[in-house]
Amino acid sequence: MTNSAVSPLEHDVAKLIVETLKLKVDPATIQPEGALFGDGLGLDSIDALELSLAISQTYGYQLKSSDPEINAIFSSLRTLTKTIEKNRTK
Amino acid sequence: MPDAPLIGPYRPDDVLAWEPGGPRTAGQFLSDVAQLVESLSDRPTVLNLATSRYEFLVGFAAAILRGQLTLLPQSRAPQTLRRIASDYPDSYILTDRDETIEGIESVSIQPRRGRASCPGRIPEIPLSQVVAIAFTSGSTGQPVPNKKTWEALTAVAHATGSRLGIKGGDHAVVVATVPHQHMFGLEASVMLPVMHGLVMHAGRPLFPVDIRSALADVTGQRIFVTTPLHLRACLSENVKVPPVALILSATAPLSHSLAQEAERHFHTEVHEIFGFAEAGSVAERRTIDGDSWRPLDGVRLQPDETRWNVHADYLPTPVRVPDRITVDAQGMFVVHGREADQINIAGHRVSLGDLNQKLLEIEGVQDGVFFLPEEGSDLVTRLMAFVVAPGKTSEDLQRALRTHIDPIFMPRPLICVTSLPRNATGKLPRESVSELARQWLAGQGYGA
Repeated sequence: MTNSAVSPLEHDVAKLIVETLKLKVDPATIQPEGALFGDGLGLDSIDALELSLAISQTYGYQLKSSDPEINAIFSSLRTLTKTIEKNRTK
Repeated sequence: MPDAPLIGPYRPDDVLAWEPGGPRTAGQFLSDVAQLVESLSDRPTVLNLATSRYEFLVGFAAAILRGQLTLLPQSRAPQTLRRIASDYPDSYILTDRDETIEGIESVSIQPRRGRASCPGRIPEIPLSQVVAIAFTSGSTGQPVPNKKTWEALTAVAHATGSRLGIKGGDHAVVVATVPHQHMFGLEASVMLPVMHGLVMHAGRPLFPVDIRSALADVTGQRIFVTTPLHLRACLSENVKVPPVALILSATAPLSHSLAQEAERHFHTEVHEIFGFAEAGSVAERRTIDGDSWRPLDGVRLQPDETRWNVHADYLPTPVRVPDRITVDAQGMFVVHGREADQINIAGHRVSLGDLNQKLLEIEGVQDGVFFLPEEGSDLVTRLMAFVVAPGKTSEDLQRALRTHIDPIFMPRPLICVTSLPRNATGKLPRESVSELARQWLAGQGYGA
């Protein structure tokens, strides 16, 4: 299961998602490679907007939906965390 | 009844839309429409799911010319689309990104793209033609159809334009964050620009940075059509935007303070539209001027024994106002709140009773109630639900519920409890549910 072991930043981002969106799940139970939107956690575009503000405040990175990779970025906790790691300014 | 043109005052070389690839002229638009008209098969109804506002307009116009009704679902959730498609069995989907919904045929808008400008005249559409059906959540939870004639859409576009002082010669550009399949989006981001010879930005920016880029894409006067949610996001991120000539907001009430802040930040006036899918846009106000709404020209509010109704020549029958309002002698009105158990989440209305009914229909649920907490600091306040369902987990129930209700109404969170605080008569007073919610939120560290 080394593949799905959660990194410390992934854990922090999972916590940020749960707290920002008031999801009643334990951050530790979010599958790093599971879907965040649609059938996964069932998030929608308002959640994406809400989450983008929290990410900007916490990590100093502003998401763009014009980014051709946007669907990939939001596809899972792992891809979102990777993007934050690469672009964070704080 | 007479006809009215498909699009407003454009010469063939005037820009009608701004796409990621650049401008699209009125002539090119008419040629795109003509090509699609030929390729469509004979069907009575179409679900136009195009994500590009321009592709949507091409599909909408082609459907009108083929005498097909465009269905405007409350959401794009597959179960909502399937429910509507089962009520309108010969429907097909128009898409611009290979979208497929199981059980419904899809037609792509992509293969066209004539570079050539169409020399033909702008087609005329009979004002009495029903061109769209906007769905609302009905009292039984089934989507209720609201027919829209060409007269209703064009009359609202002209009335809104004249109220806001929009002139055809301005060639202003409308940039919008609202979905064009939503009634306000269709009226303000599609019909308003194309009836006045304006330019329509094809994108639908979501994040503040996207909004800045979309506004920066275009030159000339900018009209920004949006919601309180997106305005709040822009202010919170403090995005620097190019000059905007006018902001038009709807779908949820805008607070005075947010409007004031937005006027300062964008250096422009912020106006709001009051409306609902059944009647379309009804009234307008500049938010910082006060609480009163001024009905659009041609709209009258008249009471019956119990409620206020919207009257307009283009409405076949008067339409009930879903909110509690008071109307003064000049016909201006103030909105005091929603009627009975109606709620509005990000521009989507539904009755709490209907949602509760859906919850109780889930296998294993013994009792349950939805609750809308007081507005907090979040962009959108979401519903919560308390459910008695021994042996079921919150995840099980969420999964089951998701197939029955629109995603926007999904409870955040859904909390399993052993019983609900029903009183001796079996009623569940709102105050008791409110107290239950307060205790739960406090326990989670969200407490007031």
